[in-house]
Amino acid sequence: MAAANAHAVSDAEYAEVSGHRLLGFLFFLISDCVIFGNFIFSYLYLRNAAPLWPPVGIERPYLYLAAVNSIVLFGSGATMHYAMEGMRHDRRSQFIGYTLATIVLGSMFLGGQAYEYTHLLPHTTWAGTTFGASFYTLTGLHGFHVFIGVIFLIVVLLQTLRGTYTQERHFGLTAATLYWHFVDVIWVALFFLFYIY
Amino acid sequence: MLESIPTELRIIAFIGAVIVAVVALIALRGEWPKTRLEDHVTKIMMVLLTVGCIEVMLVAIGTIGRVK
Repeated sequence: MAAANAHAVSDAEYAEVSGHRLLGFLFFLISDCVIFGNFIFSYLYLRNAAPLWPPVGIERPYLYLAAVNSIVLFGSGATMHYAMEGMRHDRRSQFIGYTLATIVLGSMFLGGQAYEYTHLLPHTTWAGTTFGASFYTLTGLHGFHVFIGVIFLIVVLLQTLRGTYTQERHFGLTAATLYWHFVDVIWVALFFLFYIY
Repeated sequence: MLESIPTELRIIAFIGAVIVAVVALIALRGEWPKTRLEDHVTKIMMVLLTVGCIEVMLVAIGTIGRVK
């Protein structure tokens, strides 16, 4: 029924509406960037105001697990790109395979983050220090975005299996792909801030 | 537990970063001639993804990043 309704719209109308939707979605991503930017600048301010960073008694997050976890997330960005390419070239099996790979990799990233929170940072708490507050707020917010992204991908995968999207009409997939890339790119900044800088 | 296996994690991170960087650059080359708005955004994302991979490579070889 949904597919039938979608095709009641002409190609020209669909293209025009997709253009507006894309612009709206990009504005949403920009507003999300602003939210992360606010937290990042707060973190940098707190860090520069502190005499010692991280504060005494607080261990740095474990670098190498985060490096592996980062590659898992970046890899999911690559698989998502090829999933989208599959849809653009009407290769449905490629789309399904790469989307599933992206969902698995995204879930693995969340698992790695959960492991880090529960096993590797025993003395760093949300309420204990500004470092803990900044770390958990920013990485938690990012993790929440990844979680939403995984749900988003599961939904578009199910919609695709139901025939909602076609080679010419797949704005939902474009939005999911852009959102996933956005989540990847935010992690590039967070990884640098908390684990390297 | 992970404190005792940094070398393995570094090797995994390095190899993974090289693979993902190469894939991202191939994807970027494929996207390059395309001119729609979402294609331009994808190009930017792929460049930043490559930057992230280089970041991880440098961490894996010990050039940047503090363990403690």
